[in-house]
Amino acid sequence: MAEGTGRGERLSIWFFVGMLTLVYGIVLAPYGAWEWFGNHEAPTILNNLHPTFWWGSLMLLFGLFYTIKFRPGKS
Amino acid sequence: MQQAAALFFTTQLTHLAPIDVLILVLYFAIVIFIGFYVKGATNTSEEFFLAGREMSAWVAGLSFVSANLGSLELMGWAGAAYQYGILAMHWYWIGAIPAMLFLGIVMMPFYYISKTHSVPGYLQLRFGEGARGLAAASFAFMTILMSGVNMYAMALVMKVILGWNISFSIWVGAITVAIYVMLGGLRSAIINEVLQFVLIWAGAALIPILGLIEAGGWTNLKAQIAVNVGSTDYTHLWSTLGHFKDNPMGVHWTGIVFGLGFVVSFGYWTTDFLVVQRVLSANNLRAAKMAPVIGAAFKMAVPFIVIVPGLLALAVLKNPDGSILHLVGENAVNAAHPYSYNEVLPLMLIRYCGPGLLGLGITALVAGFMSGMAGNVSAFSTVWTYDIYGAFINKKASDKHYVFMGRLSTMLGMFVSILTAYLVANAASIMDYVQALFSFFIAPLFGTVVLGMLWKRATKAGGFWGLLAGTAASVAMFVYTSTGTAAHKAAALATIALSPDAQPMAETLYRALWAWIICVGVTVIVSYCTKPIPEAQLAGLVYGATPIPDDGARGLFQKPIFWAIVVITVFFILNLIFF
Repeated sequence: MAEGTGRGERLSIWFFVGMLTLVYGIVLAPYGAWEWFGNHEAPTILNNLHPTFWWGSLMLLFGLFYTIKFRPGKS
Repeated sequence: MQQAAALFFTTQLTHLAPIDVLILVLYFAIVIFIGFYVKGATNTSEEFFLAGREMSAWVAGLSFVSANLGSLELMGWAGAAYQYGILAMHWYWIGAIPAMLFLGIVMMPFYYISKTHSVPGYLQLRFGEGARGLAAASFAFMTILMSGVNMYAMALVMKVILGWNISFSIWVGAITVAIYVMLGGLRSAIINEVLQFVLIWAGAALIPILGLIEAGGWTNLKAQIAVNVGSTDYTHLWSTLGHFKDNPMGVHWTGIVFGLGFVVSFGYWTTDFLVVQRVLSANNLRAAKMAPVIGAAFKMAVPFIVIVPGLLALAVLKNPDGSILHLVGENAVNAAHPYSYNEVLPLMLIRYCGPGLLGLGITALVAGFMSGMAGNVSAFSTVWTYDIYGAFINKKASDKHYVFMGRLSTMLGMFVSILTAYLVANAASIMDYVQALFSFFIAPLFGTVVLGMLWKRATKAGGFWGLLAGTAASVAMFVYTSTGTAAHKAAALATIALSPDAQPMAETLYRALWAWIICVGVTVIVSYCTKPIPEAQLAGLVYGATPIPDDGARGLFQKPIFWAIVVITVFFILNLIFF
């Protein structure tokens, strides 16, 4: 049974958590890399730490882990 | 395109880049998809109103804590942290943790084994139709107002941050929530609450992380706050609570411990059906007991993304000329002080988050608001269908008809919420409004439920009249302290809170305490004056008349009580650290 979404369904609630964070990571990490390496950083405080790139990468890894661990068909 | 956008966007704090819009659109797409996806598993009333009672402890626990982690909460308490300092943390620790653990360990077995569909449903089993009707009507009224408050708050935030038209935000949010709750019922709401919990952390955790880096760590932050506000009172949890005038909030430790930590907190976390409904969806007794314990563990961490940003703002927010930026109350906003306390979280978000991360933060706020609406509307439709429509209007309808009524009441509830949102537009302060609603119903309801569960001698008449007296007293005290001249209000406040130095926050806590005492007193007196209920009729409902079934825990690490002890130990340590 896919946890949280009902008897007989294939997609678990944790799969949705993984997918959402994975998609956001896929959007944010490359954008953060473009900001960093293309010198397009937004004028925010501590932008020298490149938060968009690092936070996006973290979300990508988190999302990848959950998406794979709770992928459809895996009991 | 730009002309179309100009219809919706006026002046604003910042604007969304295309990548931010993409992030927001992705969120809307996934929540609508979830609504359609789970519709196939939402056919019976048990599935629509209680998510089929098949949620694990983790899902129910995260949903339980997330149902209370709406954006109204986040922004309001971040603003309160700026206004009152670390004392705002009490609403997350002593004002939540003991009550959540009490719910899991002591009260959940009764809710769960009675197989009730709702808290008013438990009152019907224990105290009869009168208590159920009163609790159901007050709860339905409160949830619809709360949903409207959430809706308006979201619209206001979107207007302040992004310049969006108020009506545009209200209708887009309301239609989206109506679609996914109508399709998937509580299951949709729970899935979105779990997603929202992850999103809130993803969108907000960078603020305290980068803020603490900028401030130079916790010790330096405390030192900067002390310099900026001219006092060290803003960073102590307990040491300033010896007298009302020794702390920025104007409260006394008795109000925090008994008013907040006991009555308000236990009332909300153990009897507010909005949160209890999440735990009732658990798939077995052990999961139902563990869910609030898991929720409590996560709740303890929430101040990091709510209270710390408010404290950081006291230290790091500056005007362009380098002087300290002072935030003020909603009513004091003017050209010299353009921002209010409630805007502290968006201001901090904009400070650290550029395109992409800003979209993530805004999406987290939108998710929080929509989840707040969904939680209120799904709880409303359950109580309306089971405890008002099914109990008093149409008692013998088919299960299919009740599911239809659940979907219909979701739509109607959302429509009433929209009307409420427009009414709330005239309210001076969002948080005051919430606090007032909170203490009307929650404190006396806790008195009735806890006596019902723990005291066999409580009778049906006692429960009903106690609940009615407590609620009426609460409303009367609110009217007494909030109407008339300024001198009258000050005198009324001093009477209710037992001190001329008390501030409005103290009044709320003491009002709840008195309402609870009146409810309990009337229940006890009326119960002793009426015929006791035979013990055989109390089986499954009252402590001492109910054999608690084994929850199936094998080994120490599976026992909810073990994890509750771990959580309460961490709770005490944290309070000592920030004493």
